[in-house]
Amino acid sequence: MTPLWPVAVITFKEGIRNRAVYGISLFALMMMAVNLLISDMIMQEVGKVSVDIALSSISFLGLLLVLFVGINLLAKDLDKRTIYMVLARPISRGEYIIGKFLGMVLLIVVTMSILCMFAVASIFLVKMRYSGYFPRFSWPMIFLSISFTTLSLILLSALSFLFASFASTSFISLILTIAAYIIGHSMTDVKALVEASQSVGIQVAPFTVKLVQIAYYIFPNLSIFDIKTQAAHDLAIPMSYIFWAVSYGLVYTCIVITIASLIFRKREFP
Amino acid sequence: MIRIEGISKEFKEGIGSKRVKAVEDLTLEVHKGEVFGFLGPNGAGKSTTIKILINLIYPDNGTCSINGKDVRDRETRRHVGYLPENPFFYDYLTAEELLWFGGKASGMSSAAIKERTDQLLTKVNLQAARKRHLRTYSKGMVQRAGLALALVHDPEVAIFDEPMSGLDPIGRKMVGDLIMELKGQGKTVFFSSHILSDIERFCDRVGIIVGGKLRVVDRVDSLLSGGTTLEDIFLEEVEKAGGGATV
Amino acid sequence: MRRALPVVLLMLLLPFHILGLQAVTREWKSLPKGDDIAYVIPSPILKVTSLEFKGLTSDVMFLRALVFFGGLLERGNIQETKKWEWRWIHDTLNASTDLDPYFYDPYYFGEAQLTWGANMIKEANTLLDKGSKYRDWDWMLPFFIGFNHFYFLQENDKASEYLMTASKRPGGSSMFASLATRLAYKGQRTENAIVFVEEMLKEEKNESVREEFETRLEALKGILLLERAVIVYKDRFGIAPFSLKDLITAGIFAKLPEDPYGGEFYIALDGSIKTTSDLRLMK
Repeated sequence: MTPLWPVAVITFKEGIRNRAVYGISLFALMMMAVNLLISDMIMQEVGKVSVDIALSSISFLGLLLVLFVGINLLAKDLDKRTIYMVLARPISRGEYIIGKFLGMVLLIVVTMSILCMFAVASIFLVKMRYSGYFPRFSWPMIFLSISFTTLSLILLSALSFLFASFASTSFISLILTIAAYIIGHSMTDVKALVEASQSVGIQVAPFTVKLVQIAYYIFPNLSIFDIKTQAAHDLAIPMSYIFWAVSYGLVYTCIVITIASLIFRKREFP
Repeated sequence: MIRIEGISKEFKEGIGSKRVKAVEDLTLEVHKGEVFGFLGPNGAGKSTTIKILINLIYPDNGTCSINGKDVRDRETRRHVGYLPENPFFYDYLTAEELLWFGGKASGMSSAAIKERTDQLLTKVNLQAARKRHLRTYSKGMVQRAGLALALVHDPEVAIFDEPMSGLDPIGRKMVGDLIMELKGQGKTVFFSSHILSDIERFCDRVGIIVGGKLRVVDRVDSLLSGGTTLEDIFLEEVEKAGGGATV
Repeated sequence: MRRALPVVLLMLLLPFHILGLQAVTREWKSLPKGDDIAYVIPSPILKVTSLEFKGLTSDVMFLRALVFFGGLLERGNIQETKKWEWRWIHDTLNASTDLDPYFYDPYYFGEAQLTWGANMIKEANTLLDKGSKYRDWDWMLPFFIGFNHFYFLQENDKASEYLMTASKRPGGSSMFASLATRLAYKGQRTENAIVFVEEMLKEEKNESVREEFETRLEALKGILLLERAVIVYKDRFGIAPFSLKDLITAGIFAKLPEDPYGGEFYIALDGSIKTTSDLRLMK
């Protein structure tokens, strides 16, 4: 039995008992109230708007979890030297990173499940109030969207581990992870923009276009996990899309964590 | 037993400029079943040496082995218990969960962990606080929890970095008793300290390190036989090393 | 004495804070703004900046248009809405639908306001075309486009085309197909308009919009009545009446129908029935 599981367990417990998780839940409650308020102002497609608000809220709150609780978990180990208690066991640096990451994945999945309940409750309330205005609605699509968001957060968290493996302070890891998030979600649109820049009336050098195209393979493409619009309008998503998107996510995550564990092997703790 | 051969470690301060030789060409052997004290002023290189033994720091030169296994192999630590100087633990774990983690990560069964946890927590007097979050613990309690964690898997070799720091006289007695108990069980104990009386009381042999270099290694009773105190010897070594500048 | 100092300080600062904020708000209101507000960020850039929140941003853009329009209504004289203000509404609706082209509300709102109020028929049609392309399960959008072509642009052939599209979509009544063929006839414009508006009324749930349609229907029915009366007059006397009053003297009407928009019906030089209100509310 490898020591991966105990490391994952204590990482998860430390994360879930962190006060920030309570804060995030409070936020979720506020979002529910906002959902009811805004749905009032919409004339026709109340369904789409309430789904937009619910799904966007939990995406955002999940992001806060990864950025603040997640990075903090790893950073605390490095800054506050709590890593000694773990590395003193018969565990290698690589196993440490993987174990911690598994704990983080568990934390993300559990928190997103809780947030999912908030989202479902808020949509349900709005649906009860405006049942005639939910022309195209599908619970399975909503759950699929939340699952995809969870996967994209796991990917982002893996990147935060990669950054933490070489960054000297947790602040740097935070900035890099935020940058990765922004790049990840704007990548497809930026690529579309530079490849057809005439539509906006700006000039883009061919070098920039090539650069962006190469960057597309290095940086994570998080926007493929954003199916909120499809969920809001109950638009069909082919099984092949789901299959390839999930594969991409898993493969990219494994690559990133492997690189992180390789870098981490070099790290010392004076 | 512990074998250290020709260890050196240099640290770079900041970006490029200053270099500090933390440990220089250190060779040392700790025999099985003995209690060895590592004595030196602050900043002498005690912690660095210990961290190299636990593979937290990689030496520039030299090798170390514990019970015949190179310290870079993670299996070495299955039978080593480590207590760092000023231990830090996760805020929201309880002492119970901490020991569960230590035991499981070292390959113990749940039943063995449960028994050992009860035993150790009683010994270090933390039974009452076992279900409280570690962030509520006082410094002394944290130190004692660290001791329990270091010993939960019944290691052959115990390596303690300043184990008495932060403890009141009762706590210090407890640690002393523990060390003697380990010796009685035939375990090897290696601990660092700058408190002379502790070294005198518990150690079979002592190594004095000043400025990163090992100066003296001898049996405690031999050193004290001539009537000199450990303090005299210690201060003499510090003087020889160049004035006793401490960190 | 020293312990009271922070409390005293707070009590002194508080009125300054209130007065200061009031003064700053006053100054801010009088800052020249003008056409700066008229700028709407181009959609490709908006897509990048809204990251994974395109749906939400689309909702926000729509609400902004709604709120802006509400402000115009509050002003009280909707006819005096400036060109740039309508354009801003249009651009915002356009941005909203670029971010989420499946969102129904902007199209609906656009059809209601950009046509009757702003007279931006072509732009409304382009907007609705985008919607119709994406919302291929929705018959209302091609129906609206068809109506616009018929009523505002007098392009019966295009109107026919769109009505046929609408009839083929789920929920689209086969009645549209027959209406499409009727449009082939150049005549009967007012009858067709009445059929169209009655159809729109059937689908409409919003009270204030229903009122608008009902007013329009009343006006159209009034016009139809007058058109038929003119035909009867022509039949009897061989020529068209000079003014609508002649219809009363000829005994065809006891009283002329009233224009619910507050204007007066009259007969134009080409013989068609028009009204001084031009089917817009006069205040």
